Amino acid sequence: MVSDIILGQYFPGASFIHRLDPRSKILMIIAYIAAIFIINNLFGYIVLGAFLLISIMNTKIPAKFMLRGLKPVMFFIVLTGAFNLFLTTTGKVYWHWSFLTVTDEGINNAVFMILRLFFLIMGTSLLTLTTSPIMLTDGIERLLSPFGKIGIPHHEIAMMMSIALRFIPTLLEETDKIIKAQTARGADFESGNILRRVKAMVPILIPLFISAFRRADELATAMECRCYKGGKGRTRLKVLKMGAIDLFGWIFIVVLFAGIIACNIFIV
Amino acid sequence: MIKLENVTYTYMEGGPFEKTAVHNIDLTIPDGQFIGLMGHTGSGKSTVIQLMNGLLKPTDGKITVDGSELWAKDTKMRDIRFKVGLVMQYPEYQIFEETVEKEIAYGPSNIGLSEEEIKDRVAKAAELVGISKELLSKSPFELSGGQKRRVAIAGIIAMEPKTLILDEPTAGLDPKGRDEILYKIKDLQKRMNITVIFVSHSMEDIASMADRIIVMNKGRVAMEGTPDEIFVRSDELINMGLDIPEVSKICNELIEKGYPLKKGIYKVSEAVEEIRKLKEKR
Ligand SMILES: Nc1ncnc2c1ncn2[C@@H]1O[C@H](COP(=O)(O)OP(=O)(O)OP(=O)(O)O)[C@@H](O)[C@H]1O
Ligand SMILES: [Mg+2]
Repeated sequence: MVSDIILGQYFPGASFIHRLDPRSKILMIIAYIAAIFIINNLFGYIVLGAFLLISIMNTKIPAKFMLRGLKPVMFFIVLTGAFNLFLTTTGKVYWHWSFLTVTDEGINNAVFMILRLFFLIMGTSLLTLTTSPIMLTDGIERLLSPFGKIGIPHHEIAMMMSIALRFIPTLLEETDKIIKAQTARGADFESGNILRRVKAMVPILIPLFISAFRRADELATAMECRCYKGGKGRTRLKVLKMGAIDLFGWIFIVVLFAGIIACNIFIV
Repeated sequence: MIKLENVTYTYMEGGPFEKTAVHNIDLTIPDGQFIGLMGHTGSGKSTVIQLMNGLLKPTDGKITVDGSELWAKDTKMRDIRFKVGLVMQYPEYQIFEETVEKEIAYGPSNIGLSEEEIKDRVAKAAELVGISKELLSKSPFELSGGQKRRVAIAGIIAMEPKTLILDEPTAGLDPKGRDEILYKIKDLQKRMNITVIFVSHSMEDIASMADRIIVMNKGRVAMEGTPDEIFVRSDELINMGLDIPEVSKICNELIEKGYPLKKGIYKVSEAVEEIRKLKEKR
């Protein structure tokens, strides 16, 4: 259950994608997301799918593990698909019942929405799975540093993100423990009406909040004890460097875009 | 009676950090005994006991509680959890209610008992773990760490399970409080004739209380038997990174120095007796 959430988890490895500079990787993911949204026909998704498949195979992360990341958001994917399928009223009508209508445009929209969500989740999971949280925030901090000049606290933003990412697995583990403890005391999360189910969550949420605040407090103290005082003048142990490998990565991205744009223009 | 047959449990199956914590375990827990479960950190103790009340589903193998198979279609898991009460490691983090009384009452009220019955059980359980009447109306968050621990233990005891499992209930308590709780639990076990499974690192605790000892090592059952049978094998225990009672250490050293003492002594009274005999012989 809780262990199905792969967001924020790091899957160690030494593949091409693992070794890309985090800055490249973040920008590449932004490009990839842009690609998802400029595609206007199914062939574009086939090209993107091939790209994604090659990337996943390169990282050596088992496909089963990647797909497990979809489980927690399955509900949203299905819901979005259903909304698009049944509530679109324009286009050729195939089926109609009270306020529900199925049209060719609706089917089209549903398929596209589902594909987009699927590619979004897979791509972003790939980023967090192949980049350690430290590298990720280092990358974000460096990418944001130009904004530092106009007064945006880029270091603090990056630090907050890295702490948040770092604590996702910890809090999930904690949630798991608390659920177990309350289950052992006979808590019942599965039966009853909505109101009862919401009430059944209280014994989980309260200990979870308390523990999150306690952890935040402890972490703040620990950071202060080590004389942490923000970004100014901090140097780092590992300095990020772009290399030939990043150049190769970008060539792939350019090829991907060329393919997608070709699909958009030539196949209608 | 709890029975584990060929049980294996793997955490995060299929993931990068896959870890088999329990390998092919066969174990029978008879009724009415006080059982000490010991083992090195990470040997799989917590995993095994969570399998016993169905908090974890075995990757492989079969678990039965009083004849009904866990995870079978027609087994109500909630009923199993009322039968096999589990106090988790560091249970103070599960506290959520406004008052100590309500906190202890959470389990019993989930069983669906009457108001009076719950009140009665809460009072009894609180007394047993040494929570005084004045504390019952206080917020549990105002209590000290040790008091919170007691409240959490009382929360399970008040459910009056037939089998009570405690995962290192005394870790971090002061010696006096520890002995007190141990003694009370032992007393409860004898009085109500329930089964107690007690996970501990402390040999002194286990040696003085247990009818039977199970030693785990690297996810497997390494030894099983009465304290007499276990403490004779003190070398093996030490090899597994476990401690042995202080008295046993002293006796072992005496044996090494050439005194013809009996092997496997683990009680102070027994040691005194044996040494006195030895002295009289001279
Ligand atoms: N939630 C979890 N996810 C992944 N691995 C786990 C989890 N819980 C335990 N493990 C692993 O399973 C193994 C057994 O853990 P377990 O908690 O059963 O040990 P233990 O004997 O209770 O140790 P301790 O005396 O420290 O409490 C350990 O190697 C641990 O790393
Ligand atoms: Mg443990």
